[in-house]
Amino acid sequence: MGKEQQQTYWRSLNELAQNEEYRKFAEREFPENATELSDGVSRRNFLQIMGASVALAGLASCRKPVQKILPYTRQPEHLVPGIPLYYASAAPFRGSLNGIVVETNEGRPTKIEGNDLHPGSNGRTNIRQQAAILELYDQDRSRKVRRNGESSSWSDFVEFCNDHFADTGRRIAFISEASSSPTLDRLRRKALEKFPNTRWVTFETYNDESVYSGTGMVFGRRLRPVYHFDKARVTLSLNDDFMQDSDNDVAYIGAFAQSRALPDADTRPSRLYVAESNYSLTGSNADHRLRIKTSEIPLFTFALAARLSESVSGLESYAGYRNDFSDHSWISVLAKELLNNRGQSIVTAGAGHDAAVHATVHAINLALGNAGETVSYLDVPYIAENNQEHAFRELAGDMKAGTVDTVVMIGTNPVYSAPADLDFEDALNNVSEKIHLSLHFDETSRASGWHVNRAHFLETWGDGHSWTGVRSVIQPMIQPLFGGKSETEFLKAIVDGEDVSGYELVRDTWGGLLTGGFESGWNEVLHDGLQKDTRYTEATVAQAPAFQSLSAEFLVVRRDQPSDAVELVVKADPKLHDGRFANNGWLQELPDPMTKITWDNVALLSPNTAERFGIPPTRTFGDPNQQVIRITTPGGTETEIPAWVLPGHADNSITVYTGYGRQGVGRVADQVGVNTYNLRTTENRLFTTGVEVSRAGRTYVIASTQDHHSLEGRPHVQDADLDYYRENPTFAQDAVYVPGIYDDREHPVSLFPDKVFPEHEPQWGMAIDLNACIGCGVCTIACQAENNIPVIGKREVRRGREMHWIRTDRYFAGDDRGNPKVMHQPVPCMHCDNAPCEQVCPVAATTHSDDGLNQMTYNRCIGTRYCANNCPYKVRRFNFFNYSKEYLTTGDDPEIIQMAMNPDVTVRFRGVMEKCTYCVQRISRAKIDTKNKTGDSVKPPDGMVKTACQQACPANAITFGDLTDEKSVVSIQKGKDRNYVMLEELNVRPRTSYLAKIRNPNREITEQSQATVSSS
Amino acid sequence: MSTMQKTYGILAEFANPADLMDAAAEVRDAGFKHFDTYSPFPIHGMDDAMGLKPSKLGWIVLGHGIFGLLGGVALQSWAMSIAYPMHISGKPFLNFPAFVPVAFALVILLAAFGTFMGLFFLSRLPRLHQPIFNSDRIAKATDDGFFLCIEAADPAFSEKKTTDFLKSIGATEIEIIPE
Amino acid sequence: MSQNTATVPDERLVKGNHDFASITKLISDIPQEKTPLWWYIAFGIANILLAVMLAMVVWLIWNGIGVWGLNQPVGWAWDITNFVWWVGIGHAGTLISAILFLFRQGWRTAINRFAEAMTIFAVMCAGLFPAIHVGRIWTIYWIFPLPNSMQLWPNFNSPLLWDVFAVFTYLIVSTLFWYVGLVPDLATMRDRVKGKISKMVYGAFALGWTGGNRQWQHYEKAYMILAGLATPLVLSVHTIVSFDFAVSIIPGWHTTIFPPYFVAGAIFSGFAMVLTLMIISRKLYGLEDIMTVDHIEKMNIIILVTGMMVGFAYGMEFFIAWYGGFEYEKFIFINRALGPYAWAYWTMITCNVIAPQFFWVKKFRRNVTLTFILSIVINIGMWFERFVIVVSSLATDYLPSSWGYFSPTYVDVLTYVGTFGLFLTFFLLFLRFLPMVAIAEIKAVLPQANPAYYRSGNGNSSKSD
Repeated sequence: MGKEQQQTYWRSLNELAQNEEYRKFAEREFPENATELSDGVSRRNFLQIMGASVALAGLASCRKPVQKILPYTRQPEHLVPGIPLYYASAAPFRGSLNGIVVETNEGRPTKIEGNDLHPGSNGRTNIRQQAAILELYDQDRSRKVRRNGESSSWSDFVEFCNDHFADTGRRIAFISEASSSPTLDRLRRKALEKFPNTRWVTFETYNDESVYSGTGMVFGRRLRPVYHFDKARVTLSLNDDFMQDSDNDVAYIGAFAQSRALPDADTRPSRLYVAESNYSLTGSNADHRLRIKTSEIPLFTFALAARLSESVSGLESYAGYRNDFSDHSWISVLAKELLNNRGQSIVTAGAGHDAAVHATVHAINLALGNAGETVSYLDVPYIAENNQEHAFRELAGDMKAGTVDTVVMIGTNPVYSAPADLDFEDALNNVSEKIHLSLHFDETSRASGWHVNRAHFLETWGDGHSWTGVRSVIQPMIQPLFGGKSETEFLKAIVDGEDVSGYELVRDTWGGLLTGGFESGWNEVLHDGLQKDTRYTEATVAQAPAFQSLSAEFLVVRRDQPSDAVELVVKADPKLHDGRFANNGWLQELPDPMTKITWDNVALLSPNTAERFGIPPTRTFGDPNQQVIRITTPGGTETEIPAWVLPGHADNSITVYTGYGRQGVGRVADQVGVNTYNLRTTENRLFTTGVEVSRAGRTYVIASTQDHHSLEGRPHVQDADLDYYRENPTFAQDAVYVPGIYDDREHPVSLFPDKVFPEHEPQWGMAIDLNACIGCGVCTIACQAENNIPVIGKREVRRGREMHWIRTDRYFAGDDRGNPKVMHQPVPCMHCDNAPCEQVCPVAATTHSDDGLNQMTYNRCIGTRYCANNCPYKVRRFNFFNYSKEYLTTGDDPEIIQMAMNPDVTVRFRGVMEKCTYCVQRISRAKIDTKNKTGDSVKPPDGMVKTACQQACPANAITFGDLTDEKSVVSIQKGKDRNYVMLEELNVRPRTSYLAKIRNPNREITEQSQATVSSS
Repeated sequence: MSTMQKTYGILAEFANPADLMDAAAEVRDAGFKHFDTYSPFPIHGMDDAMGLKPSKLGWIVLGHGIFGLLGGVALQSWAMSIAYPMHISGKPFLNFPAFVPVAFALVILLAAFGTFMGLFFLSRLPRLHQPIFNSDRIAKATDDGFFLCIEAADPAFSEKKTTDFLKSIGATEIEIIPE
Repeated sequence: MSQNTATVPDERLVKGNHDFASITKLISDIPQEKTPLWWYIAFGIANILLAVMLAMVVWLIWNGIGVWGLNQPVGWAWDITNFVWWVGIGHAGTLISAILFLFRQGWRTAINRFAEAMTIFAVMCAGLFPAIHVGRIWTIYWIFPLPNSMQLWPNFNSPLLWDVFAVFTYLIVSTLFWYVGLVPDLATMRDRVKGKISKMVYGAFALGWTGGNRQWQHYEKAYMILAGLATPLVLSVHTIVSFDFAVSIIPGWHTTIFPPYFVAGAIFSGFAMVLTLMIISRKLYGLEDIMTVDHIEKMNIIILVTGMMVGFAYGMEFFIAWYGGFEYEKFIFINRALGPYAWAYWTMITCNVIAPQFFWVKKFRRNVTLTFILSIVINIGMWFERFVIVVSSLATDYLPSSWGYFSPTYVDVLTYVGTFGLFLTFFLLFLRFLPMVAIAEIKAVLPQANPAYYRSGNGNSSKSD
């Protein structure tokens, strides 16, 4: 009895149930799967099971591919979890695109690099391309198709298209952003022939229409000028900020830097002259800069042409022309320079200036024999025959007149950015059917009947040409996060009422573009990111007979004299451009290269002009409050905007940027800055003369990352004129006295013996060539993208808590009232051998690695901030609040922004210090790969490790590598006589050193008094 | 005086510090060992009068201090060079100049502990009760009274003789303190 | 043996006609009397301030260091300023109880007890700031050398770590010193209080002290040794605090004269604070006989001396900045006097260098009201000294691009104000429940305490009314 009872004792329900498996299990020492788990096959089964369950969990939000990709029930080819994949693609901007390589982690695009194979990129990028990642993961992007604001669906839209466009007689107007896509062009032609009463207008807020009209005047054809700065000895930029405000900036900056390179003291760098009103990035890199009002640029140009006409043929119509600049000291100097460098010089003018200026400029280039040498003129099939600005103006008129039934707007946002005098919104209201495709539900979307949410270029198939015509395919890196549609899919639906995938559309187009086997050619294009040997045909140019009369005409027209009337110049923002990037936190928080302002736009004016309006010409240290001014145009438009004194700005001139003051677009963009588009009209696209300025009597808080703008005569940034450099090649190294330097430079007197690092380890070092650096700030954004640096917002930046690991310091030197020179200096962590930060940390949270990195151990940091206090370079950044949490977990679905994070980099939490790591994650990957290959060495071959900042830099200013390898590029750079160490006298032995900047001024001008130069 | 109760000692009060000190000398010369004087404050010269040997406290403190020093240096050297050596500001692992402040602090800390504990060890404290408290007059010792107590434990002690002796050396009051 | 009673015979440290009994009564009655109304009011205010401080600390820990006005480059501001200021104040207590003891300054006995109490409470306030100024206070224990699973130890190269050891040691040693001094007086209280509970409590803390000479013998030895230990300690603590700056490489911080300069400043401010408290409490408790005008004058002389030292240091800093020829150092000092923080600098000069000059005049030295005012002025000045050193050096160091101006938030201000709540709460409790003057030591410096006094034929009875 008792025995039986004992037998009936049970240890688990299964046992009680006496089921077969359980008894087996109970008998076995190890449960079945435990042993099998060790062999690969069943481990995959195991993964499948796991994966399936995860997939189920993820189904709820299967729009987010990360959850579709996560379970590798069927392992995608080539994909090893944890190892990123790189795909070639292209980044479109305005009328062209540029080659990029996208890093994807487990199917998430996380970082954009340049494409080495692509001539427009050469592996380099600009801020827009770097920031595109954040644009992709922008939670505020439009997520659905809308009908009169009500949410609708793509299928409804296709249905609508089917019946609406069935009537081909409709008077339709297509307003498209500039595009060089063959596929879009194919569909465009189709639309134009299918709908007889239709017209296609390209609308770009900032475009090259007047450039093309200019070339049209000179050559009889609207051609695109492309400059070869690497071949130029002398460049004259007439208010052309080609380093920042050009579609081809990456290639231009690279070429320019190349022409300035100083392998040794004997090479003669090129020379850059800039005449401008605003102190632009390009101006800050000029050897000579002339402060003149933008409204005077045409006069200056004509005066120059007139002077040149005395010596070269082709400018006859300018002969004898005179204006106030004819006797300006610069005219004769420039004329001389240009004539001495025929065929080796470039004259370029800002795209905003009207056709007359560009006509003159290119006539000069032609006359100097630069055409075909330093300037090539390309025949671009995507340039319309007529000036699209005029076409747009007419269209707006017709819309007002009610002679347009349907407007289809592709990508543009004219309601926000069209010239104010067109009141485009009213015009749009006169149109019965309005259809708009855009990334955000923006101003124009709200005014439209149909809004289709657009897919980001990283989500969709597309194609296009680079600035010089290299043809590329845009391939998607991820499924559309919000189910957007590409412009081609959108247009296809309108034209044929069909829902065709972008993939097919693009392939259809390329069927006609690829010679030889399609698939092989197609794969090659996808792999390389470009189609080999594609380029716009270069036109052989000659002066059109009509030019003489044309020029004579505009010379007669333009004869207003320079006065001290105040002019207002409206320009595209260096970061947000026309406002399309306004919702991008990285760009908003990137300090403006010249003013170091974040999160705002201001009215830039010179100290003298500021005084004229009763504004203090210098800012008080630590006071973020700026005077607000009221600008009234002759047309009567009023705008209130904070004033900002920018030394070197032309007097009696005010510059404002557009792209701010957005409403209801997104969390980031809204309410940031002032909308200045109402100051921009068709007649005054670039500048308005005779504006009234008064103090608004209130102040406004501006968040600038640099509070002090003078070097105080300190030797941190070393620069010299070429001649001086040749006399004293080591001037930069000799700038400071280092104790013990005369006995042994390498080992100044110290209490301790030198630290010896292990033989087998590489020793990392960085050299930053200030002669190449132009100060664009792309390194900052590249670093932000690579290292998961949070966006902290205006309030925190204003409090001086910006988190950027690499900053670009900008100093003014010389006469603040006149024409001061500017120095740009990127400052990452110096990784000192004798790092002062390490000693003072009470918990040893920052220490030195065997390969010479100054490491920050986040988990050990208790946040005393002592290290930051003791850092002489002030490169350490402290998480005063839980920035990363705010950045990554706010909003409706934070998972989206989280997808932008680099899985190789720790996300830092509140209360810890952080700083530049020399991209230690890239270093480690390289060391591991090297070790796997060689078996023993952990010294990666030179060039295998590229830091994010180095990789992005279009000027190739940053070199990084192993110092134990004498042949490494960085060793060679550090070996140069221009190499110097910032604050060497502290004997902290930084691993990051600088190469001095060398200016190449023209003696004639330097001998003239500053007064003459800054007069006007 | 009941014989039932064992006596702890005889307490004699004196007029002022001077009298007490003279008395103490007398008692010492009379060959008593187990006796003590009680006063609201330490009286200058009383130790000699009572014939007390110098306090041993100094040696205890010294011992603790040395331990603090060795411990401090050992801890720092071991932690920085053996337990988890790290490159810090290019300095050697054994960076002795930097170890001085902590070692010093530990010397003081340990010595202070030594002093504190040594004091109470030597003076047999803490105690919740002392036999002397059985006297009802001794409370004056912490106010303005000056007392001398010869304990019964002393071989030369005899209740009668001792009482007379104390009277003879100028005691103003005599009290026999029960155990 | 007994050093502390060796006094100059003709000096009357205690005014009025006091004997042992009256001294005992005068002091030990204070805790026994009924609590005066003003005490309740003061205690209420102190508690409100304490509550404010706690609220601010919670707010800080909840949100992060960002609620303070700190930025890049100014990573330390009010937090460390307050820390150094409070530690400095603490120094006077130890100085009076230890150094003056070794120098046989009998007059110290009147004030050492509550000066020591002040030390302990001030160091508590000081210790608060390094604790809460870290970004992750929940990991603060990592600064102690505790064995842990990470196998990590603190970095003994760091001045901040030296600080931890120094301040920690200082707090403990001061407390021991204070308690040892209290034991005989606690016995006195034990023997006088009526209430059973209070008798037990005082009795427990008196540890069974009998006043027997066999205890006094070791007691005096111990007291002297503690004084001998506390003296180098008190000098080392502010020296090490000054290392936080002197060991760094920031111009304006990296200065070799900091150790003596900081110690002098500490004594300077400490004595001022002792005076402030003493002048109030002697009035409130009618202790003018014990804390006499002579005491005030003596302390004013020390204030004058240390004030001059501090003033000399200010001048020397400038001289070295110029003589050293290090442009950044030069700039910092010119910038202090003329730059954005000039207002703080000149407040400091006025309060610390000019104000004490009054004490050259005997009349002023002995003027209680003036002394009271100046003692407060000096402490304001010393706070600004630390502020100027900490903030103005960081605000404009090597790279002009990284210069930044610091301005405090309300949290900065209220946290500092709140610490006075912490300090006063403890200090008022001390006044209420413990003998605020060292009874035994006072008696020991009465002429009657010296046997020689009777030999020379003065009153033959202990009742010398």
